[in-house]
This record gives sequence, C-alpha cells and structure tokens, in this order.
Amino acid sequence: MATATDNDNEGPLTRWVQSAIQNPEKVYRALFYVAMVFFLVTTLFPFYWLLVLAVTPSGRLLSGSFLPTIDLFGVSATFPLPVPKGFNPAAFVSVFEQVPFHLYMLNSFALAVTTTVIVIVVASLAGYVFGRLRFPGRAVLMLGILAVSYFPPAAFVIPLFQVFAGNAPITIPFTDFPLFTPPRLLNTPGSMVLPFSALFMPLSIFILTTFYGQIPDGLEDAARVEGTTRLGALFRVIMPLSAPGVATAAVLTFIAVYNEYFFSSIMATSTEAAKWSPIVGGILSYQTQYTTQYNLMAAASIVGVLPVVILVIVAQERIVSGLTSGALKE
Amino acid sequence: MAKLKLEHVTKRYDDQGETVTAVDDMNLDIDHGEFICFVGPSGCGKSTTMETVAGLTIPTEGKVYIGDRDVTNLPPKDRGIAMVFQNIALFPHMDVYDNISFGLRLRDYPTDEIDRRVERAADIVQLEGMLGRMPEEMSGGQRQRVAIARAIVREPDVFLMDEPLANLDAKLKVHMRTELQRLHKELDTTIIYVTHDQEEAMTLSDRIAVLNSGSLQQIAPPLTCYNEPDNLFVAGFIGSPSMNFVEGTVESDAIVTKNFSLAFDPASVDGVGVGDSVTIGIRPEDIYPGGLRGEIADHSALIDARTDILEPMGDEIFAYMLLGEGETSMSQEQASSDQLLVSIDPDSDITEDEDVQVVIDRGNVHLFDTASGEALTHTLEAAWSGDEVTESEAESDD
Repeated sequence: MATATDNDNEGPLTRWVQSAIQNPEKVYRALFYVAMVFFLVTTLFPFYWLLVLAVTPSGRLLSGSFLPTIDLFGVSATFPLPVPKGFNPAAFVSVFEQVPFHLYMLNSFALAVTTTVIVIVVASLAGYVFGRLRFPGRAVLMLGILAVSYFPPAAFVIPLFQVFAGNAPITIPFTDFPLFTPPRLLNTPGSMVLPFSALFMPLSIFILTTFYGQIPDGLEDAARVEGTTRLGALFRVIMPLSAPGVATAAVLTFIAVYNEYFFSSIMATSTEAAKWSPIVGGILSYQTQYTTQYNLMAAASIVGVLPVVILVIVAQERIVSGLTSGALKE
Repeated sequence: MAKLKLEHVTKRYDDQGETVTAVDDMNLDIDHGEFICFVGPSGCGKSTTMETVAGLTIPTEGKVYIGDRDVTNLPPKDRGIAMVFQNIALFPHMDVYDNISFGLRLRDYPTDEIDRRVERAADIVQLEGMLGRMPEEMSGGQRQRVAIARAIVREPDVFLMDEPLANLDAKLKVHMRTELQRLHKELDTTIIYVTHDQEEAMTLSDRIAVLNSGSLQQIAPPLTCYNEPDNLFVAGFIGSPSMNFVEGTVESDAIVTKNFSLAFDPASVDGVGVGDSVTIGIRPEDIYPGGLRGEIADHSALIDARTDILEPMGDEIFAYMLLGEGETSMSQEQASSDQLLVSIDPDSDITEDEDVQVVIDRGNVHLFDTASGEALTHTLEAAWSGDEVTESEAESDD
C-alpha cells in the first residue's frame, strides 16, 4: 500500500528489506555464498594448517608465532593467516626415513580394499534380497541389520579382543561348556577386516538396497531369460546399472576403514608396521618418549590423506557421470 | 522349434493372507510353428501364464512342457525360450551389439559365430549400421526391433512376446505388426504373444486364446472366435466395437426382449426350453437399416429405433440406436436392452435423433444362456422354417 512518495521517505534499510522481499533469489544467493565460504574455510583450513606445520623446520616449531607481524605503510599489524616459519620440504622425505610410513599406508590400504571388497559383495547379495524380493519379515530383518550400526563400536571391543586373542576356548554364555578355541588373530588383518566388515556392512546394505530396488524387474527378467541365473543378473545387469550406488557404498566403506584407528590400535598390539598397525599408528610413531616431531606428523598426515583425495576425485567423476547419464530407462 | 504344452497350470499368490488365483487350471496344447495370442482384459492372467512358460514364475500346480521336456522347474535360461518384454527391457548400459549378443556371449559362442548371428538378426529386423548405438539414442520402434533381434539371435524353440507393441504409437504399431507377421513366416518358430488388443490378436495369430479371470475361455482360430464365440465373454471381447447383447426370454415361438422379439423355435436348439432367460448377441454389422432388408436372406421383423450418437469412421458409420423409450446408456457394456450399436454404410444420409427402422440378420444372431454365459447357437437360420421371412416380405411389398 506504500505509494512512491512513501517509498522516498523511507530509510535505506527499509528499501533494502523491501527489495529482498521482492527478490528473494538475491538473498538465497547471498546466503549460499556465505554458507559455501564457511564450509570451505572449515574444511580446507585444517589442511592448510597441516601444510604450514609440515614445511616449518622442526627447530622453529615451538619458537615465535605463526602469525607474522607485517608493516603496512608504517602501521604494524598481525597477518591474520598463519604462515610457515621457514621452508623445509625435506620433511616429506624424512617421513619415510624415520619410520617405514609407506608400510603403514600399505596396511591401511590393504585393510580398506579387503574390507570394501567383502562389504560390496556381501552387501550386494543382501541388497538384492532386501531390494528385490518380497518375503515375510523383511522389514524386521532390515531393521535388525540397521540396529547393528547403532551400537557403539566400543561395545564390541572387549569380547572381540578376547576371541581374537585365541587364549581360551569360547564357552556357551553363563556356562563353562567350551565350544571351540578360535585361532589367534591379533596382529593379523583378520582381526581388523572381520569387525570392520561387520560394522560398515549395514550402511552399504542400506544404500545398495535402495539402488537395487529401483532397477526395473523387466531388466532382471530379460537377463534371466537371456541366460543368466539370478546371481548372474545381479552382477551383470543390476550392479552395473547401480554403479553410482555401488561407488558410493564402496567409497564410504573404503574411507571409513582407511581412517579407522580405534579397532586397529587395539587389535594391533603395538604401533609396528609388521603388526598391521594402520596409518594413525604410523603417525603416532613420530612421537617418542622425549620428542614429538609435529612437522613430521603433519607431513605424514598429508601424505596419508592423498590416496583418499585421489579416490574421491576419481569416484566422484564416476558418481556424477552415473547421475548425469540420465534416469534409468528401460 | 517345438511344441508347447501346459497341463493343469495353476498359479496362486498369497496377498496379505488372501489367496489370489492368477491362473486357474490352464490346459493348452500348442503346435510347432503356431502363432498363438493370449488376449484378455488386464489382470486376466495372460502375463502370468506366459511367465510360467518363461520360467519367471513357477506354477503352484501343473506342468509345462516344451518339446518333450518337462520344464516346470527349470530356470528360464535352460528352457530354450526367448522373450520380448512390454517395456522392451534393453540393457541401458550396453550398446545394440552387446544387447543382441548378450545371450550368445553367456553361452560362450565363438566370436565369429556371434558376429555372424548378430549381423543376420540385425538384418532381419532392419537394424544394419546401428550396432554401435546405445539404447537411449534410439527411437521406440528401433528399440523394439533390437529387443526382437535379441530374441531371435539365439534361435529359440519358443518365442514369448509380452505386449511388445503396447508402448508404441498407433502408426508404428501397425507397421511392427506387419513386421512380426513377416518374421513369423521367416522363422517358422512357435510364438506366444500376449496382448490386450483384440485387433492385434485377430490379425497376427493362428489361434487366439481368450482368457478371463485366470481361466481359458476359448482357444480357436481368430475367425472362429469371432463367428462362433463359446461364451458371452469371448463374444463381448472379440470384435471392435463389441457385440450388442440384449436379454430376452424364450417363448414357444419367439425370443421376446423388452423392445422387440425374434421368431424362434425352442426345439431347434439343444438345451433351450420355454421360459429360459437367454442373451441375444448381435454384431453391429449384422443389423441393417430396414430399407436393405430385401438383400438379407433371413431377416427379422422391422424394429423401431431412434438414432442417438453417430460415429463416422470413414468406411462405416457406427450408429448408437435407442429402442423403445430408451435413454442414452451410460454403461460401458452394451448389455443395455435399450440400445443397439449398428454399423451403417457411410453413404447413407442418416442423422442423429432420427426415427428409423432396422432389421437383424437372423443368420448371424448368437444365443447365450444368460445364467451360465455359454453359447447356445450362432445362427437362428436353421432354427426357423422361414414362415417369418414370408411374413416380413409381405410387409416389404409396398
């Protein structure tokens, strides 16, 4: 109801508010940029900080400030971003000299790949069943599987450690009746891959169930008539068509295991590469009783994170290409 | 290349505690090289029957034989069948060549043999030069042809086609229909074809199997289904537009309906007695304007009617006629005793809301038992000596 004259009399704030109400897109766009910048800063700053630490020579790590004072036309001010105190790229080499860090990376990589393969194969079978077959009790069973992922992993550590230690036979609960004596799995990949697979399985099953459930029945029928079994149809038709889902489940599992420390720090009884200690175990090896080489720990962290960065970039392309190639048409 | 036999095939589903019978005691004997159409309304069990043949559904009871083999419990891949699906079901992640050769590659055929067969199949369905395309780059008709090529490349014993033309536009449908006929001639393979389109069934098949609510109503050559339907359902389903049904009662010398009567001798047809409720079935083309009655050997008495709606089709006009005090019927079925659908010569100058007289060709009147729906006779010609003809000729002498 405001006339043009009224408008002229109103202050700049009122005019700005009115223009925002009339053009909400402008506000949304502004908020989008604010949110983007916020997330970029919070995710990228830690990496930058690691880089600063890694290239700073170890002698200067604890002396002085990372925030240099700069002289701005006679006015001295503190530069708002930390900068390295010196330049020592050799840290990225000594990372491998002091500790066989590549072996720790290999451990993590091997554990992650093995777990991912197991999870994708088993979760595919489960996803096929939950996504494409109708049977009584399906919902309850699915809920039960998801419930596994709601447990804190720590709840499983003590019983699992006892089992994997292989010292005493497993007995029937509340009795002394022995069932079997498990093999000693501590310090082997088995003691880590098994619990990882179990813990990360529910999420993958959930993702794959959703994807496999969306593949039209006709395609599976066609594959079966053409000469595959149900399993063959799953691996030849349903899985390739669900590539984005499979990639998502695989990447999530891989990253989760690659970054895992809690279980492996317990199942590997010391931080030695030969005992299948993972990357974090390697990073902690730069810390001794008397010294902590923060620059090497930072450099190792950066090196350790590189494979995941590469994987995500590659997989993301796959996921995006899977999504943009259009909704699935028969 | 084989016979196909269904023996007492029954399929029941358990739907939330309720048992649904999709296919009820189906018995079929199909000869080598026959083109059989399963027709019926949605949910009549025709697709389920086909799935039991394909092996995608295992029947609850009964046996399926292909050739001399009992294939009831064999998986689809071991049955020697190929199938074309309603939604075409090409593998979207494979190009045309890979789609067509999928079955051959699974069976480890040598590469040159696969190449040769794919080339030939592509040749038959006229897809030369498109082997490198992806399904999404093709039109509906082309995809359909890829699906057919994928089916014929394996040289199966039995072809199953589940409404393969349902998703195509009308023009393409007619074209593909001709292609399928040519293909059948060329391949000489047993083909089972599911459709809800009775026109497709009429034009394509050697025999039509009409299904309703899970049971077989009639299996016969198309013209037999058309001219001698076994029961009310087949009579109403086959033919477009469908048959007029008028309910009446048998009296000693005629069948009397609400608005007209047809001379009839109950003794001439087995199983008909005075007082029985019968349904008269008359196809639109067997009703003529009264002026043409001289051309019909055995016609009924003149029936007063009033035209309601006219549907000019070009080669004929479908005229909905109201009998007696009849109101326009809103019901889908023509079972209304007050309405007749008549096919008229397009040159006649008939208008809407015009009082006319029509006659029925008694030689093509079908009689059904109203209670059971079973056909009693497909002509009244033999059922009457001809007295009535003289009578009505006397009328027309003016």
